[in-house]
Amino acid sequence: MTAVLEVTNLRKAFGGIVAVDGVSFEVRAGEILGIIGPNGSGKSTLFNCVLGQLQPSGGEVKVDGRVVTGFRPSDLNRLGVSRTFQLLQVFPKLSVRENLILAGQEHQGNMLTRLLGPSDAGLSKAADQMIDFFKLGHLADEPAGGLSYGQQKLLDAAMAFMGGPRLVLLDEPAGGVNLTMLGDLKARLAEINREKRATFVVIEHNMEFVMSLCSRVVVMAEGKVLAIGTPAEIRANTAVIDAYLGH
Amino acid sequence: MMRLGGIVVAIASAAAIAAPFFLKPYGIFLISTWAVLTIAAIGLNLTLGYAGQISLAQGAFVGIGAYTVALLVPAGVPFFAAFMAAGLLSFAIGWVLGYPALRVQHHYLAFVTLAFSTLVFLVLRNEEWLTNGIYGIAGTSRPTLLGWQTGAARDFYFLCLGVLALLSLATWWMLRSPWGRAFVALRENPVRALSLGLDTRRYTLMAFAIGSSLGGLSGALYAPLVQFIEPSSFALGLSFNLLLMVIVGGSGNFFGPFVGALIAVLLPEWLRVTQGYYLIVYAAAVMVMMAFCPAGVLGLIERAGGMLRPPRKAAGAFTDGAAT
Amino acid sequence: MASFIQLLVSGLATGAIYALIAVGFTLLWQTSQTINFAQGEFVMLPAFFVLAAMNAGAPFWMAVLIGIALSIVILGILFKIIIVDPMIKYGVLPLVISTIALSLFLKESAKDFYSSQAQPFPALVPAIDIRIFDAVVSTQSLAVLAVAIVTVVALNLLLNKTRLGRQMQATAQNATLARILGVPVRRMVLYTFLLNAVLVAVASILVSPIYLAKFTNGETLGIAAFIAAIIGGFNQVRGAVLGGVILGVLDNLSAAYISSQYRGAFPLIILIIVILLRPQGLLGRIEERSV
Repeated sequence: MTAVLEVTNLRKAFGGIVAVDGVSFEVRAGEILGIIGPNGSGKSTLFNCVLGQLQPSGGEVKVDGRVVTGFRPSDLNRLGVSRTFQLLQVFPKLSVRENLILAGQEHQGNMLTRLLGPSDAGLSKAADQMIDFFKLGHLADEPAGGLSYGQQKLLDAAMAFMGGPRLVLLDEPAGGVNLTMLGDLKARLAEINREKRATFVVIEHNMEFVMSLCSRVVVMAEGKVLAIGTPAEIRANTAVIDAYLGH
Repeated sequence: MMRLGGIVVAIASAAAIAAPFFLKPYGIFLISTWAVLTIAAIGLNLTLGYAGQISLAQGAFVGIGAYTVALLVPAGVPFFAAFMAAGLLSFAIGWVLGYPALRVQHHYLAFVTLAFSTLVFLVLRNEEWLTNGIYGIAGTSRPTLLGWQTGAARDFYFLCLGVLALLSLATWWMLRSPWGRAFVALRENPVRALSLGLDTRRYTLMAFAIGSSLGGLSGALYAPLVQFIEPSSFALGLSFNLLLMVIVGGSGNFFGPFVGALIAVLLPEWLRVTQGYYLIVYAAAVMVMMAFCPAGVLGLIERAGGMLRPPRKAAGAFTDGAAT
Repeated sequence: MASFIQLLVSGLATGAIYALIAVGFTLLWQTSQTINFAQGEFVMLPAFFVLAAMNAGAPFWMAVLIGIALSIVILGILFKIIIVDPMIKYGVLPLVISTIALSLFLKESAKDFYSSQAQPFPALVPAIDIRIFDAVVSTQSLAVLAVAIVTVVALNLLLNKTRLGRQMQATAQNATLARILGVPVRRMVLYTFLLNAVLVAVASILVSPIYLAKFTNGETLGIAAFIAAIIGGFNQVRGAVLGGVILGVLDNLSAAYISSQYRGAFPLIILIIVILLRPQGLLGRIEERSV
């Protein structure tokens, strides 16, 4: 069974500093993989390299067996890979619904059909479904900038799903979200994973979030992979404990 | 709020239609100039206000359109065909110009269009065998459409107004479509837009090419309007003027170009007493405006009451804290 | 061969002037994200300051000092305080528009408040032609070259060998890091503006004897500065110097061997080629944005 995402020996150096140093792992279809590690371990740089925001200095990235190393973010997105951002990235002046329509509109048709076709690119219904699923119904027409931080995080996640992606990479989805919202977020993610067999990779600092949501976890430290295993295995791993306590 | 804006637009449209009956020929010439320049300003607004790129070549595209018509029509080409040719040629040139320039950040398009503007001027001035050089081309005739002769001032004004209305509607349609949403996205947050599969470069390029073609179409009407064109009319001065029009009116606002062009056309008349100091006043006003209300005249009005709500306003080309 | 040497010398002289203008432009961009579209007019203006001072009775050398001082105050301090500082919070785009408006403002002001006629400007040295190996070279070109080279060398010394200069460079490369390291960033940014004002004033005094003081000078000089900065690499001061020199030499050579009607076109074509083939310029680095 081909892995949905396969990262082999990925390396990224900024001048003399090596942020990611020969990282390899794979993500299997339908699983939720967590990536954890102390600050500066290279998690976000890894993400950015996989997703085309940065050019890797070495190594290979494959999606469904197809080499995509260095592909631009928009190309990867059209191959079915989407992401959320650590720093919030919704479009504040557009309404919630418009944000979602935008997130989906580039996945269908081409420039011409988008110009001549309906104003909502036929996505109003799908957007509304997403709004209901994430329980943002009462905010559908509000400008996204007016939502609370936690609600914007939910919107951000919802946008990542609009294109019906194969693989979603979530960058610190729990950051800054209060406990109740956190429960909602976890529940929504687990539900989408179950129903749509969507595959996730989650970078997180929130241990409890990761351990309870993810089926497997990759631990990074200083740009390298320290350990890969189930949450239980990772919790018991002494090297991991050292890496965290050491900082 | 929408309703109030709609009423204003309706009144303004009625005024535009009624105006020529109350004005002397010079007045009709002024409003015709307004209509023609608004077309160019709408194009530049697309490039600047919606796609966030500075073009200093819009005047050059007006020139390209004007000379295209001025050369083709006397050669026997029907006006409509020449008109379309002006638009298509400008679109193609815009595309070719924008393709490399938009690969880079740093507002390279501004410099490329600056250079292109000067280049166009040089070609228009030097290639006398084609353009008559500094002696210009005179007497571009006004067209006859389906039996309707537009030679008289009032008739030609209605032609210009009609074309303006048509092109405005087409632009309105485009901004209502997913393209409009894409423009807002690429201005507000290009990184996020990219990650959602939005080809920001393609959209920016399209905005610039379409904007440039509107410049060309404006020029196609300009030639028969003024009936004497020469290279220096289309040099950097015009490009600056159009830029200021878009800014003053309200960049990224659908109706901005209409207001900006009106101010630009009337200002020299109002300031005629200052005898040519009007450019200094205009430039100073723009600088002041940039410091206090970068969203232009319509931005001021909007702040005062949210009246005009166009189909999809780009998140204001300039808003507090917007970093480009 | 003789004429080639002539062209080379005058090309280097022009190039040195372009380099000065381009360096100031690049420094402003690097330290404060200011794309100064009025840079050409900044070079046009000081000559008029000097002429006005001379009209008021000052001898040339004093007028030059006055011109430089006025340039520092108006094009350095006032420019920063009145235009750049209030605008920067809105982002780069409004600032660029402002400087475009400013360039128009300065140009029209020079035309309306001084003269629309080209004004003769005193040269630094009397224009004598001297012979070097068969080539006839004007002392003017040599003087320009000398002054420009001295300025560039002094600039280099300032930036690389003095503490102040290194702080300015640090600010240019990474303001946040510089601040953490204790560099007084805001003061450094101010110094960059002052430095630019001095550079454009020197360039103005060097170029005006040749081109005459004309309110339209800004157009050609501005474009030359931008192109030089881009050729060299937008984010490199050394690149601006290199770009300026290359542009000056090529410009002069092209004027001699290509039709003079299209003289202005050559730098523009170079610009388009550079952007097509190597957008980061000769010395520039490709910048990446990470999230």
